[in-house]
Amino acid sequence: MSRPALLLALALLAVTTPAAGEARVSRHVLPSGVRVLVREDPAAGVVAVSLQARAGSRFETPATAGITNFLQRSLLRGTTRRSGDALAEAVELLGGNLDAAGDVEYAEVRGSALARNWEPLLDLVAEVALSPALAPAEIEKERRLVLGQIRTRGDNPFPQSFDALMADLYGPHPYGLPSVGRRDVVERLSRDDLLAHHRAVYRADRLVLAVSGRVERDRVVRAAGRLLGGLARSERSGDDRPPQPAPTAARRVLQRPASQAQILVGFLGPAVGEPDYAAVKVLSAVLGGGMSGRLFVELRDRQGLAYSVGVLNPTRAGPAFILAYMGTAAENAAAAEAGMARELGRIAEEGIREDELARAKAYVLGTLAIDRRTNARHAWYLAFFEMVGAGWDFPERYARAVEGVTAADVRAAARRYVRGATTVVLEPR
Amino acid sequence: MRRLSCILLALLVLLGASGCLVGRRPAPAQGDPQRAVRRVLPNGVRVVAQEHRASDVVALQLWVAAGGRDEAASELGLAHYLEHMLFKGTTTRPAGFIDREVEGVGGRMNAGTSLDYTYYHMLLPARRALAGIETLADISVNAALDENQLEREKRVVLEEMKLAEDTPSRLLARQLYEAVFDGHAYGRPVIGRPELIRALTRDQLLAFYRRHYVPESLTLVVVGAVRPDDVVEAATRAFGRFPRSGTQRLPAPPAASARPRQLQRLRPGAHAYLGLAWPAPRLDHADTPAVDLLTAVLGQGRASRLTRSLRERLGLVNTIATSYAALEAAGIVSITAQLEPANLERAEAGILEEVRRIARDGVSEAERERALTVAEARREFQMETAEGRAFTLGHAETIWTIEEELAYVDHLRSVTREQIRAAAVRYLDPERFARVVFTPEPAR
Repeated sequence: MSRPALLLALALLAVTTPAAGEARVSRHVLPSGVRVLVREDPAAGVVAVSLQARAGSRFETPATAGITNFLQRSLLRGTTRRSGDALAEAVELLGGNLDAAGDVEYAEVRGSALARNWEPLLDLVAEVALSPALAPAEIEKERRLVLGQIRTRGDNPFPQSFDALMADLYGPHPYGLPSVGRRDVVERLSRDDLLAHHRAVYRADRLVLAVSGRVERDRVVRAAGRLLGGLARSERSGDDRPPQPAPTAARRVLQRPASQAQILVGFLGPAVGEPDYAAVKVLSAVLGGGMSGRLFVELRDRQGLAYSVGVLNPTRAGPAFILAYMGTAAENAAAAEAGMARELGRIAEEGIREDELARAKAYVLGTLAIDRRTNARHAWYLAFFEMVGAGWDFPERYARAVEGVTAADVRAAARRYVRGATTVVLEPR
Repeated sequence: MRRLSCILLALLVLLGASGCLVGRRPAPAQGDPQRAVRRVLPNGVRVVAQEHRASDVVALQLWVAAGGRDEAASELGLAHYLEHMLFKGTTTRPAGFIDREVEGVGGRMNAGTSLDYTYYHMLLPARRALAGIETLADISVNAALDENQLEREKRVVLEEMKLAEDTPSRLLARQLYEAVFDGHAYGRPVIGRPELIRALTRDQLLAFYRRHYVPESLTLVVVGAVRPDDVVEAATRAFGRFPRSGTQRLPAPPAASARPRQLQRLRPGAHAYLGLAWPAPRLDHADTPAVDLLTAVLGQGRASRLTRSLRERLGLVNTIATSYAALEAAGIVSITAQLEPANLERAEAGILEEVRRIARDGVSEAERERALTVAEARREFQMETAEGRAFTLGHAETIWTIEEELAYVDHLRSVTREQIRAAAVRYLDPERFARVVFTPEPAR
């Protein structure tokens, strides 16, 4: 079981009810249009801030893939008031950290600090987001680092296979693009490109600010008004509906030197808030949840075919992937792939038992509670669900939907989504 | 800051225990942790409990004072293998108990094996906490170690080894340990070696289990929405009946001063990886706080010297990190970087130049203060969750003391700039260190 213990310490927590404690959440809309969410947790010794903009690889094209991540990374390299070194020192003095990155659905600047420093932290987050220097020399340094980051994905078999599967599963849909960026794009993006992207992204109507920790709501809202109240709205709200995903529904083989083969099998699932959303989460848990999911029990416990095996099913504003994966010795790869296909097919054919359903639901609800235990995660959840349009209180509604999922719902979801597999196999050579 | 080695060097940040943030400022928050309750049962089992009502979750951890360093050379991998087998059922709990008793009620369970210890951790809704204590007691002495499951699990562990081989950063860390602790138990892989795992027998495993999973080696830690009195009572019922073994764990021998070892190997991939490492003080050494601050100023975080100089100013590396692992019998400081192969020599020279500079000129007062604030904040973040608290308490109780852990931030505050400089002179010899380099193998 021993995976890296740091991951365990951070990732494991379970409860059956949301770990709300005495915390109170409130939502405000500044006159500029920026949405502000405050979670007051009087017991916390710390404060966390997540400023998310509706941007990211979902809004990119093959010609701009990675521009959001490149921009976000460059924000940390200095503002009109402070150098990158000075920023790093300032945040350390608050007992905190500051980070920025572009993801699939959003661009985020986030930070945390000792609770007493909540206001200087908020100032720093706003300064980084809204007043970046984007100095030419700093952009060049960041370009080198991002290109290194892109190459690193190729040094590690799982990320390399994952990127290949996303491309095959989504085709022209931007979810098929790597959010860290494409090498050719990052090589050629100019400072003007980044400045223009910054102007387009940091608009009042695209932004959500979430603050969680030992703070007072009214003071946070006043500070947010001071920092974000002057932002303009987007000039036009064009229809940016992306192309339809077009899975290859085929099997692709990659070869590289490695100790283990990687097997990744993907399907397209529902978007956040769609009627099947909760049923597919339960389905994913039946297959890949923890040590009692079917893939773990059958392929690891019974057959000893893998150490790492599971299912990924993230939350997306559009069609989210359902991805079953395992790493196995080259000589076991054929048996492993066949075993995985059998397990994936069985649910649609045979359905699931009531005890499996109960376990999977408990697992899903446990995951939700487990993941929302630090102020940093609370801030992220609030901002993310508000920003993708589901509403900050979506997780509570989702928990109720999970409770209502039946075995028939899970089987129907398997019939609807788990078909026409798109597969990537990385073979060691 | 001070980190703890786990299997394959997944380094755990250790920050602090219950409350007692003293010094420059008053206690930070209303929910500031109360002191933990600590009891030693008549048979030697230690019980540590702390009420923490930030949520409905309870963290339960069973700490065992047995790890990779307790294995004979012919037993490599036993501690970790045993950890896997404890999830496979007991004489009264058939395999699948995780499903029924943990995941089926919304909880989680996992475990980790390190050089100095093994620990099992559970997260459960509060109403299931006392039942969880029973489960942990059961696996601690009644594991079935079923022969068939034992054979099947060999394949899983062999896969786990392969996964580590394919992950450059993990492999680098492990090989630095091998280089610095050459000839010492800390230099051996906790996961074992393939030929030993293939040949492992139930008798070997059982002997290790009987020898090391004894009441005197066990600590139960429970933190969360529970009353400590209830925990002590349930723990007494569950663990109190085990007979005392009367044996004592052998102390780890001190690590001999390292011979500088160098290792270079080709690996697939586009990047090079560079690791430099030095032997460092063990956990309870008087110099530990000074080395902790030294490594923080030198190489931890965006504002640290190595990041500023090697990554930002010189542009020689993509990432660079410094860690200090203070183990029970010895410590290790390591600096690891990912970089372009062409920059290897200049990067190493740049790192050693910063090492020489900090030994020559020391650190500024501003750097010392920032490092202290970072340490204080990390403790606060560790205190956010029940399992963060439980880990800190269990670790301290198993290989240190809770009192020392509680006083640690104060010890950091008392370290002077001169002591930090002296630690650099004493421990980071720029002429004598272990080096591991991975370079990309030519494309085939």
